[in-house]
Amino acid sequence: MIQRLLPFLTLIVLFVGLSIASPDHFLTKTNLSSVVRQTAVINLLALGMTLVIIAGGIDLSVGAILAIGGLLGAMAMEKGLPIWLGVVIGILVGGFWGVVNGLLTTKLKINPFIVTLGTLGIIRGTTLIISNGLPVHQIPQAFSFLGEGNLLGVPFVLWVLVVCALAVHVVLEHTRLGRYSFSIGSNPDAAYYAGIPVAFHTTAVYAICGMLTGLGGMIEASRLMTGQPTAGQGYELQAIAAVVIGGGSLRGGEGSVIGTLVGAFIMGLLANGSDLLGISPYLQQAIIGAVIILAVSVDELRKRKSTS
Amino acid sequence: MLLRLTGIQKRFGGVTALKDGNLSVDSGQVHLLLGENGAGKSTMMKIVAGLQQPDGGDLLWKGEKVSFRSPSEAARVGIAMVHQESLLAPHLPVAENIFLGREPRLPFGWVNRRKMMEAARRLIEEHRFPLQAEWRVDKLSPAGKQLVEICRAIQHGSSLLIFDEPTSSLSDAETQEVFRIVRTLRERNIGVIYITHRLEELRAVGDRVTILRDGETVHTGELSEIGNDRIIQHMVGREIGSVYSRQPLPPGRVLLRVNELSRRPLLERISLQVRAGEIVGLAGLVGAGRTELCRAIFGLDPMDSGSVEIEGRPARVRSPREAVEQGIALIPEDRQKTGLATALPIGYNLTLTDIRKVSRLGWLIDHAAEKKICADYARRLKIRHESFWQLAGRLSGGNQQKVVIAKWLVRGARVFLFDEPTRGIDVGAKIEVYEVMDELARSGAAILMVSSELPELIQVADRILVMRQGRLTGELPGHATQEEIMRLATLQDGGGMLLGDNQ
Repeated sequence: MIQRLLPFLTLIVLFVGLSIASPDHFLTKTNLSSVVRQTAVINLLALGMTLVIIAGGIDLSVGAILAIGGLLGAMAMEKGLPIWLGVVIGILVGGFWGVVNGLLTTKLKINPFIVTLGTLGIIRGTTLIISNGLPVHQIPQAFSFLGEGNLLGVPFVLWVLVVCALAVHVVLEHTRLGRYSFSIGSNPDAAYYAGIPVAFHTTAVYAICGMLTGLGGMIEASRLMTGQPTAGQGYELQAIAAVVIGGGSLRGGEGSVIGTLVGAFIMGLLANGSDLLGISPYLQQAIIGAVIILAVSVDELRKRKSTS
Repeated sequence: MLLRLTGIQKRFGGVTALKDGNLSVDSGQVHLLLGENGAGKSTMMKIVAGLQQPDGGDLLWKGEKVSFRSPSEAARVGIAMVHQESLLAPHLPVAENIFLGREPRLPFGWVNRRKMMEAARRLIEEHRFPLQAEWRVDKLSPAGKQLVEICRAIQHGSSLLIFDEPTSSLSDAETQEVFRIVRTLRERNIGVIYITHRLEELRAVGDRVTILRDGETVHTGELSEIGNDRIIQHMVGREIGSVYSRQPLPPGRVLLRVNELSRRPLLERISLQVRAGEIVGLAGLVGAGRTELCRAIFGLDPMDSGSVEIEGRPARVRSPREAVEQGIALIPEDRQKTGLATALPIGYNLTLTDIRKVSRLGWLIDHAAEKKICADYARRLKIRHESFWQLAGRLSGGNQQKVVIAKWLVRGARVFLFDEPTRGIDVGAKIEVYEVMDELARSGAAILMVSSELPELIQVADRILVMRQGRLTGELPGHATQEEIMRLATLQDGGGMLLGDNQ
């Protein structure tokens, strides 16, 4: 039990530790808001990734989907469409690529690692072709509210994140889609033999991941106030890391929304704390890498103990 | 005496695979090891080859007591095994497979490829094997792969070779080739243990025979001194006992009808029907096509021709999903792999087939209703479990099987295909599974039950269909004898004895 709670404890220890080590800077509203803003995008990607990983898949293309969603959403606004429609377009573009990923994995029966490695390249290339490699700047000023605004005294993105997290949590724990995701990830054959439409639900999971990523792309665009074709590079690995630190298993069938959020915030705090304490960003990367390995090995140990 | 086994025991969890295994083999002797599916033949040979460790008994090698902790320890003294499923590196050429792990070396650990190729060629020529040292193993037929394994054993200087049902996947010509090789091995004073179902042909090469039944050696002696009828009696002749007996019901209307179903070359024009309240047994040897028939009816494999009718109406079953919608349920042979999500809670497994039943608006799961349904079915099927949340994989085999059955009850299936429903579960749980099947039949379900355990079929089934090589070869009443079933399952049309599938 104590090991299952380890990610939470780590987060708390980190939080308390940083409060003590850097009381003047860490525990300020400005700093905590910036931690939230910085991790919100990764958090959204990681929420979608949680679904995909629980269903036994993986999505390496989320960084690229984030870029194409953000770019096309920004371009729509540049062409004069209202802000809300731009955001919807960003989300739908993400959903479209999610469906593509899902169909390729289920219809061609190709390993999702390979499929999304391929679509990662295709999507990134498409983004660069559409934009000619140039960022989109002509965005209405009000759009910055999405990523930088405050509502009721806290960053607006926190509200977005809370709503999305609740929604994904409800999907996972209380709906048919969630239950089927666990079953498919845990034993795809048994799910198929039970008459579950495995291909449909797998595709749905990738589509949801894509839409959350598209939303992440719009937030990223709002924070930068540009539609950046090179945005989100390497985000897929951070999203996967958040899921895994939070107890998700790449073998499928395991994971939770709360675990993923904790995982993403652990990484966010590590980065923020290193900045505040003047630890070199080079070392930061190594620390986060070590934390991933540590978290997974502790989790493996726990599982081995419980099965023997 | 080359090898002697006395009183070998082996348990897997609660299941006893070997109770009292005895066997002695001399050099230059071909020793047949016979027995029904699950009699313990393969387990005993895996112990000899170091793949498994015995729980009791003695293993004597050339008069000395030994114990092998790994296949390489057994290989070192000269024991090699030719496996049912080939254990070769498929992407490597024949020569490299023969020398795998013992490659001739050059300084600095480099492999002396030239020397290896030459040695492999010499070996192949010497035995007149139809092989080339350069051929890639994955391009070979099953027989070719076995030849490579035999080459490997000879090359390693083995003095005892174990063949585990080597001919079950071979053509007649290939079988003859394997027999020729067995004979040359005998001439070279190598001991051979040969596990098989095919008896007639092996009389040409076999010297002695040992028969296992229910994990015990029941007969050992010269092959020439025992007739085939006696051999079959030894193989099946266990006390059935009156632990379970079932009152057949007056059968109702036809729920499942299969018309001329073919899936070549595995299934050839199978027609059968099962009525409500009926339990129909399906007997046959491994590879006769029983599992394949269930798979085709359940929509897992496409059929070439033929049709399935449910309750008198033509049923489209091109996927398990369609089959499930027609009210068909499959309790698969391999519980862990295809029947259960072992890493998920029991409750999740139970409602997997019909989550709608416990959902509001069709998609929002009503957890209270789900818990109640699970508790109901767990009580009805006597599933011994701790809670809704206990992982299915941590139940005993019998309780796991009951979960698999219960999930179809939740769905309200009417036609049940049981494929080896009691494999690997202990006697007490077996009877509980029979009781569940009986209760199902009483509530109006139609049951088709595949089993390799003849006493079980005789006890549980109302009538028994027998398959051999993808065809139905006969129908027997439920009170048929094991000998009658075995005859239909093994006899070739010409009347010769064929204990096994000859695909």
